[in-house]
Amino acid sequence: MVEHRLILSLDDVSKTYGAGEFAVSALKDATFQVHGGEIVAVMGPSGSGKTTLLTIAGALLRPTRGKVTISGIDVTALSESKLAAVRRERIGFVYQSFNLLEALTALENVRVILQNHASNGRADAMERAREILAAFGLGHRMHSLPKKMSDGEKQRVAIARALAKDPELILADEPTANLDAKRGHEVMALLQQKAMELHKAVVVVSHDNRIREFAHRIVWLEDGRLHEHHPEDRFV
Amino acid sequence: MLLVARKNLFSERVRLAISVGGVALSVFLIGILLSLYRGWNEQVGGFVEKVPADLWVASDGTTDFLAAASVLPDILAARLQLLPEVDTVSPLIVRPMEVHRAKDPSDQTFDIQLVGYDPLIGMGGPLEVVDGKSPPGPDEVVIDEATRDRYGVQIGEELFRGAKSLTVVGIARGGDFVYTQVAFVTTETAIDFLSLEPRTVRTFMVLTLVNPEDRDVFARRLENATPGVKYVTPEHFASETRDRILENILPILIVVLIVAFIVGLAVAGLTVYTATVEKSREYGILKAEGFGNPYLYRVVFEQSMITGMMGFFLGAGMTLVIAPFAQDAVPQFVVFVRWQDILGIAGITILMSLFAAYIPIRRIASIDPVTVFKG
Repeated sequence: MVEHRLILSLDDVSKTYGAGEFAVSALKDATFQVHGGEIVAVMGPSGSGKTTLLTIAGALLRPTRGKVTISGIDVTALSESKLAAVRRERIGFVYQSFNLLEALTALENVRVILQNHASNGRADAMERAREILAAFGLGHRMHSLPKKMSDGEKQRVAIARALAKDPELILADEPTANLDAKRGHEVMALLQQKAMELHKAVVVVSHDNRIREFAHRIVWLEDGRLHEHHPEDRFV
Repeated sequence: MLLVARKNLFSERVRLAISVGGVALSVFLIGILLSLYRGWNEQVGGFVEKVPADLWVASDGTTDFLAAASVLPDILAARLQLLPEVDTVSPLIVRPMEVHRAKDPSDQTFDIQLVGYDPLIGMGGPLEVVDGKSPPGPDEVVIDEATRDRYGVQIGEELFRGAKSLTVVGIARGGDFVYTQVAFVTTETAIDFLSLEPRTVRTFMVLTLVNPEDRDVFARRLENATPGVKYVTPEHFASETRDRILENILPILIVVLIVAFIVGLAVAGLTVYTATVEKSREYGILKAEGFGNPYLYRVVFEQSMITGMMGFFLGAGMTLVIAPFAQDAVPQFVVFVRWQDILGIAGITILMSLFAAYIPIRRIASIDPVTVFKG
């Protein structure tokens, strides 16, 4: 169920790389909002600006123009350390290539993120990490290193890690790209279920059409411009 | 210790072993060289300091015991003995020379520092006799145990210089100057053996005073009263003697120490750097997840510091274990391991670890977390 609480807002956001005759406009006047409990899929062809949109929404990249607000905080002009704090406290990331720390077990991958969160001590972080991995059906994989896990398991650990610190916003970058159809479906179903249970705002960037069935709203991005679509629409 | 630092470090055991090994070798080399320097420092000046004298007397311009370029008239001893402040005067004839064993060819020589002394006074003679008899009689010599160990000279053997010879009757301890050792004979034997002319010439005199605490004032008074003669404390004379040998060696030691430091730094720095480059993406992930630069710097710093400290303990252990064996195998390899030096090397290792972490930390600072979304 979609809440009315606004979590992410982009107002007339543009991003241009380079300058002068070499300037490339990756995002043009993008206005975009996501509320708590809402899953928004951002779809579009390669090079359309999806990753730029995601990294701006994730307080990782500053827009050239426009305003970005996350949970009511205008992040456009924040310092690097304050941006890091926003990411740490309010945003969970799910990556295409899982991005687990290779030397750490599944439990440690979750724990290390939790320990970086101001409110968690070491014992609390360990307990919370155990709980969340168990909730994701990874109880038997807690002490496994990423290289010993399947891609599906890795992505489940990555989603558990993203949700563990209880962020308001989840940003997922091509979460099914490295998974087969069955595993991709399972992972998206899990993300949808957990995000809805916890009332998270979710933005999924993908060019995988199968994502549509999990989204409340779909945004089409092409040549840096956003267009709203209904989930029932077919993309070419 | 941070979880990420510990896990990153110990997940790559081969790299860790190379890194620790490099630092350990560097620490070992620094430790051995410092101990060698200390050992020589202790050994070279030891005899001069241990002779129970309050003042050494030499002719002006004399620098040290080993050069023995001092000429004093024997009558000076009698004059000094008349002074109420003087308790004992012992004239010494000291001369560096080469001798050979009876069974060796005449060109197979070794160095000794012949010391002729008066056995009735005793001062300036053998410090501690470990074998045979002392004092020596006419044409007899008491050699240092280092001469015995190094050249295999035994009691009863004869040492030759040209047609003249001395019979070894005793072995003493405490007269090793690393490249030469003292050998004690009576004054009369020294005069005959060296064919000294005039026979009244002496090299040094050693004095004990009635009030040793007044030695500096007394020395200045004597210098004014006997122009051309200098009076120096044993510590000063020992220091001058040390300088003769160590002054030339010290610059070489310093260069080797710097090389050892650079080698350790290079090994530690390169392994920490390659580990950081290899994990660049993971540092990017941590940045994306909201970890600040201070946390990431600490990860690298802790890895560098743990590598350094492991290398230090291994290298220091190697120094403590191997140094005595090396000394047994090579007599000139006189080492003296001081805990202050070990602490100093720990400080050098910390410095090495700090430098080794510096470039990787700069690399981390430049990582853009956006890159983790690419591929």
